[in-house]
Amino acid sequence: MSESPDRPLEQQITLLELVDRVLNKGVVLSGDITLSVADVDLVYVGLRVLLASVGTLERLHEGA
Amino acid sequence: MSDREAPSTGTAYYTYGVVPLDFPAGAFKGAQGVGGRPVELVASTEVAALTSVVSLDEFGEEPLHANLNDREWLERTARAHEDVLERALAAAPVIPFRLCTVYRGRDQVLDLLSNRGAAFARLLDRLRGTVEVGVKVYLDRARFLEAAGATPAPASPSGREYMLRRQRERTVDEERERFKAECARSSHERLASVALAAEANAPQPPEVSGRTDEMVLNGAYLVEAADGALAEAVAELERAYGPRGVSYELTGPWTPYNFVPRDLAET
Repeated sequence: MSESPDRPLEQQITLLELVDRVLNKGVVLSGDITLSVADVDLVYVGLRVLLASVGTLERLHEGA
Repeated sequence: MSDREAPSTGTAYYTYGVVPLDFPAGAFKGAQGVGGRPVELVASTEVAALTSVVSLDEFGEEPLHANLNDREWLERTARAHEDVLERALAAAPVIPFRLCTVYRGRDQVLDLLSNRGAAFARLLDRLRGTVEVGVKVYLDRARFLEAAGATPAPASPSGREYMLRRQRERTVDEERERFKAECARSSHERLASVALAAEANAPQPPEVSGRTDEMVLNGAYLVEAADGALAEAVAELERAYGPRGVSYELTGPWTPYNFVPRDLAET
């Protein structure tokens, strides 16, 4: 499949969009080794915070 | 990465999702999945799973906890997971599994396929020929204010001017909230009317979306792969709402993450 030109260009947004789907959506099965729901929430919250701070840093750099 | 992993640690089956039995066998020739591993089909009598044999050093329960908190590992793995699913989607319908669904062995994957095979097969039939498209709708505050005819504040307002301006700002805020709600509702309705299924997710706050614009709608739509009706509806909505500061962002095509049940037992 070719890369769609409609994909957001900014890497950070793309990552969040991706994580939004791969961690929040899709079929959840109890594999032998699989993430517990709590793990996913933690990762997701962690990533939100991380991406938010990256965004803030970028804006600060732009403003400097 | 290197070949120095201890041979005693063993392997497991990373499972990306499920595809129909008629999935073309050569679709993953030479392709790499998570952990740089090749992608293998594990087939039962009804459906097949997309898998990679991965090292427990990386995907075992303990290392997984640590790896998920490593942003680079998470990004690399999420992208590899998505790449495999997108490549599969180009050839056949796919049921995407959540990231890091890992089974101890091939037998456990086969157990899953035989226990849930009928439900998987029914779902694949429904998904055949479709893709998921994401539509995010944003409102640019400044452009909205401009369109609403709000005038910029004077540099040094008098007390009376200040009071009048505050009052006016409050009215504009209320108007903006009403407009956002109405724009979200009518956009989602219009887009859902040309989709096979639709889902409105919670809008992301600006610090997460990375944009200063407010997200008004965070929608996902299941459409026929070759159907241009959604893009046309977006263009039409943009013509209607664009002058008031609204913009539409399309993402995808994605595998139908938003249109598979979280728990297949629910279907």
